[in-house]
Amino acid sequence: MSLEVALSALGGMLTSPYLMGLMLIGVLVGIFMGIAPGVGGKLGLVLLIPFVYGMDPLAGAVFLLSMHAVVHTAGAVTSILIGVPGEGATAATVLDGFAMTKNGEPGRALGASFGASLAGSIAGAIFLGASLGILEPVILAFSPAEFFLLAILGITFIATLSGKSVIKGMTVGLFGLMISFIGLDPSTGAERYTGGQLFLWDGVDIITAILAMFAIPEMISLGVTRQTYAADVQEPQKIRYDQVGQGLMDVVRHRWLVLRVSLLVAAIGIIPGIGGDAASWLAYGHTVQSSKTPERFGKGAVEGVIGAETGTCAKEGGSLLPTLFFGVPGSSGMAIMLGAFLLLGLQPGPAMLTQHLDVVWSLIWSLVVANIICVAILLASAPWISRLAYIKTSLLVPIVLLFAILGSYLGQNAWENLVLIIFLGGLGYLLKRHDWPRAPFVIGVILGKIAEDSLLKALAIWGYEFFFRPISLVLIAMIFGSIAFYVYRQRNPRVGIAHG
Amino acid sequence: MLKRFAAMAMGLALAFTASAAMAADASMYRGKTITYIVATGPGGGYDTYGRLIARFMQKYLPGSRMLVRNVPGAGHIVGANTIYAARADGFTIGMFNTGLIYNQLMNLPGVKFDLAKMSWVGKASNEIRVVIISSKSPYKNVGDMLKSTTPVKFAAAGVGSAAYLDTRILDFVLPIQIQTVTGFDGAEGEMSMIRGEVVAQVGIASSFDQFVKNKNGYYALAMSKLAHDILPGVPQASDYVTDERGKKLLALLEALSDLGRLTVGPPGIPADALAVLREAHLKAVRDPALIAEAKKLNIPIDVGTGEFVQQRIKEALTQTPETVALLKQAASAR
Repeated sequence: MSLEVALSALGGMLTSPYLMGLMLIGVLVGIFMGIAPGVGGKLGLVLLIPFVYGMDPLAGAVFLLSMHAVVHTAGAVTSILIGVPGEGATAATVLDGFAMTKNGEPGRALGASFGASLAGSIAGAIFLGASLGILEPVILAFSPAEFFLLAILGITFIATLSGKSVIKGMTVGLFGLMISFIGLDPSTGAERYTGGQLFLWDGVDIITAILAMFAIPEMISLGVTRQTYAADVQEPQKIRYDQVGQGLMDVVRHRWLVLRVSLLVAAIGIIPGIGGDAASWLAYGHTVQSSKTPERFGKGAVEGVIGAETGTCAKEGGSLLPTLFFGVPGSSGMAIMLGAFLLLGLQPGPAMLTQHLDVVWSLIWSLVVANIICVAILLASAPWISRLAYIKTSLLVPIVLLFAILGSYLGQNAWENLVLIIFLGGLGYLLKRHDWPRAPFVIGVILGKIAEDSLLKALAIWGYEFFFRPISLVLIAMIFGSIAFYVYRQRNPRVGIAHG
Repeated sequence: MLKRFAAMAMGLALAFTASAAMAADASMYRGKTITYIVATGPGGGYDTYGRLIARFMQKYLPGSRMLVRNVPGAGHIVGANTIYAARADGFTIGMFNTGLIYNQLMNLPGVKFDLAKMSWVGKASNEIRVVIISSKSPYKNVGDMLKSTTPVKFAAAGVGSAAYLDTRILDFVLPIQIQTVTGFDGAEGEMSMIRGEVVAQVGIASSFDQFVKNKNGYYALAMSKLAHDILPGVPQASDYVTDERGKKLLALLEALSDLGRLTVGPPGIPADALAVLREAHLKAVRDPALIAEAKKLNIPIDVGTGEFVQQRIKEALTQTPETVALLKQAASAR
């Protein structure tokens, strides 16, 4: 019965030239939003909403969702080619994606990223569709107690992402945690390390922190060494579909990784309260941790790109469903989407599942189909896009710095972020130059806030008993398992889950 | 006699300013860009109202361009400071949470504005404060809460936010022991009520409309006489407050329900420009197309003129030192 509805919804969508046309426009706009600095999906949605007035509810919703769905997919382009992540969720892609570009494999990195996005969105949607019936109890089972423990689990990945020296990694990770404590104390409202600056009341802007850690240091070191950054300095003479194809094949080779990450992230995505940034870093952390050769990550391991990109795309469907079923948005992007749904005349709520299952399926499918269209467009143009990687340093450095500065400024409209990006960027350069890992910093910044906030809530609601909730116990076991696995592998270097 | 003469003179003066306002024509905005600052990020209630009003004000300021700019940060304070510090030429207006009245009254850090001096353009909605009880909670009504021997858990946004202060005031004035669980931003509080972790939340009635329709909770208490019409049968908080100090504080909270979604400019906007803006705002919020769109978005529109708002803000800010001390006491009690 449910399968029938699912298939007829898909059929209805694919055979409607109107819907497909709208999706194509949505996708093109989404690609632009993903690649342009500082725009991002949220602002994109707000700008597009006036265009859907008067549209048929389903058409309007499909249009907006298809735009929203591909922003992350397209955002990988700048992450990989010039090392500038568009938002927190795509930052994990920079680690290995940009490293691959520097190794002379931009095409392969793009191929792998697009392939992984596609696989992630399909697997995520199927997983969500299959679990529609049990979705409500699952969503409701997760509370601040579990958010806290999930964040702690993520923080244990710092060890894995530290590379050669766990001491260095932990130092950087703790520094990231410290940065996450900047702002108003959530329990007392007291200012912490804000220096009286209002722009720091809400904490350090994540995008600024990420740009400072990744984009700025790369550009400083390029400027200092005066190299072209793609290793084969030769301008590519012919269009390189072979590299792109190789990247796609990498996704197929690592299909089990893709499947594991998709399920993990789709599951985390449906829990309102964790957020997309955390989900994609958890995905990346899992990828590195489960690899037999974790030392390759951060230096251009294709699995890193695949894990991170699968992660960012699989979670989209995840945040859609609580929005639809409870009328309570699962993310800030979905909060805007909720407004648009109401405007279009779609009333989110429990009745969605019982009375409008066809609409629910159409929306889930639109995430998948939009990603297929987007990936087709991006793949076809990948060889041209990847030429960006061969821009001369003298041209690239100013462009990237401009992108980074725009991205940092536009996020909060605060010029003070520009001071912050220079300060943190200098720090990031020192870390890079002395070969200290930078990923743990981002983990600390992103998860520190979630951990603190959820811990305070959990304690206020249950007291210390929250540690004994059933799911809490499972998560605690996973945390200890994660640490034990790391220690065990330090002694037996070749253990890991086959990524093939 | 003298009194009557003064009244006549006043009436004349008023009539004169009114006609001057009429004479001020919207042509001064032709070909000009007006920046509308929203003190939150894109999405959410303030952004929705701000964009809607900006779009329709543009319609009534022919040839002008309204540019919406999001200036989020520090719980609307950054946005409010930005509007306050803008050039008073009538080309910058905006919207922020009127709960900042609390911040000004208590002289909290970060405040670089004086709401009494600002140029108020108009009001778009009432903000009727209510208590919502979760359907999952064992408490069915206020009576149950009053009888409770253990603290009743209320979800609230960050410490210092308007929603947090509303909750603290309620704890102070009602004979209910409220435990304020903070840090619930956006829809997190609603999710927490659906999961049955917290019992209740203080919020704006209209923003819980969908939540109540989906049977996730119900209105249990209202903090405004305006609620009689839209929420018939819901008891009033004032019925449960007996002491004078509590009544004073509750009166302040109730006064805020009249002042929602206000559009405002910096102090000292020239009278003619302000008159044009007020007229455009009034026409915008009375526009049937705006009303129809608001209805679809499930956001209420309650019209108020700039003059009305200016008066009410002044009143709300005129509190005795005693009331301010009570407010501080309520805010700091934990």
